[in-house]
Amino acid sequence: MARENILRGGIETDPGRASALSRRSAEHFGMLVIESLKSAEMLEDDRWREHVKLEIAPDVMAVLEDPEQALIMASGHFGNWEIAAQLLSRYKPVAGITRTMNNPRVEELIQRRKPRYRFHPIPKYAADPRRFLAVLQDREILALLTDQHAHTGGVPIEFFGHPAATYTTAAMLHLVTRAPLCFAACRRLGPMRFELTSSPLIEHRPSGDKKADVRAILIALNGHLEDAIRQAPDQYIWGHRRWRD
Amino acid sequence: MSDAIIDKLRDILRDSSAEDRDWDSVDGSTTIESLGIDSLSILDLLYDIDQDFGITLEAAEVIDIGTVGEIAALLRKRGA
Repeated sequence: MARENILRGGIETDPGRASALSRRSAEHFGMLVIESLKSAEMLEDDRWREHVKLEIAPDVMAVLEDPEQALIMASGHFGNWEIAAQLLSRYKPVAGITRTMNNPRVEELIQRRKPRYRFHPIPKYAADPRRFLAVLQDREILALLTDQHAHTGGVPIEFFGHPAATYTTAAMLHLVTRAPLCFAACRRLGPMRFELTSSPLIEHRPSGDKKADVRAILIALNGHLEDAIRQAPDQYIWGHRRWRD
Repeated sequence: MSDAIIDKLRDILRDSSAEDRDWDSVDGSTTIESLGIDSLSILDLLYDIDQDFGITLEAAEVIDIGTVGEIAALLRKRGA
């Protein structure tokens, strides 16, 4: 599946190179799990500065430093989103949807690790817009990975040139609450070294054309995700069946 | 007696819901859930309220909304 997705997205055109990239993507996922298990120590106190270079847009940083403002932070299954969420929770609590790992041994390791600072997991089965509204009301960060196939209520948005059913939640939450929205990605630079970047705030006011508003926001988010992936395609989880037409 | 806010809400809810039902019977005591407004479409509903009433409801105000009448009360409080 990963190889097919890489070819379909035009990241590689040669099947052999696509296979090699899919292997590196699988290795990246293994690294991600190990890094995530080590993350609590790595991000302790001021030690995080040795490991993470922050490149946050000034308007996003202003929101992070303002206790009166919530933030919707969209990302994808790129780089190490766990490190990103934990680091950002130093600014304000972060809530994000989590799911059980397919591998029970890995899941056990994840569950046994230290608590993750101010990261509040929302189990996938309990992910509900009302819960998200509560997070925003509490002036916290709502972290959403927006690149999973939307089984229900999604809209087709181009992802690497092909329409992919995309969840509308991040866009709708921004439109109805006016909570600031941005895209963020945490790219691995080397062993236990990362760069956490954000887009500037994505500001879109409701125009009366709901579908067009949602589409404009999701196109912007997908564009940022594509840019991040192009920088390090081996740090993207290509195994997900994103295109289902 | 007709209530202009409830009437307008009824139209919005009809558009947001996939339910085939007797919409004329919807009144202040009708629960949102019974109208087929699921957790996802609550955001659509808020968007439509914003556009049709020109009022952006706060997250805290809508988290516990249960009935059409409760939305109408919120809108009245906000000057609708």
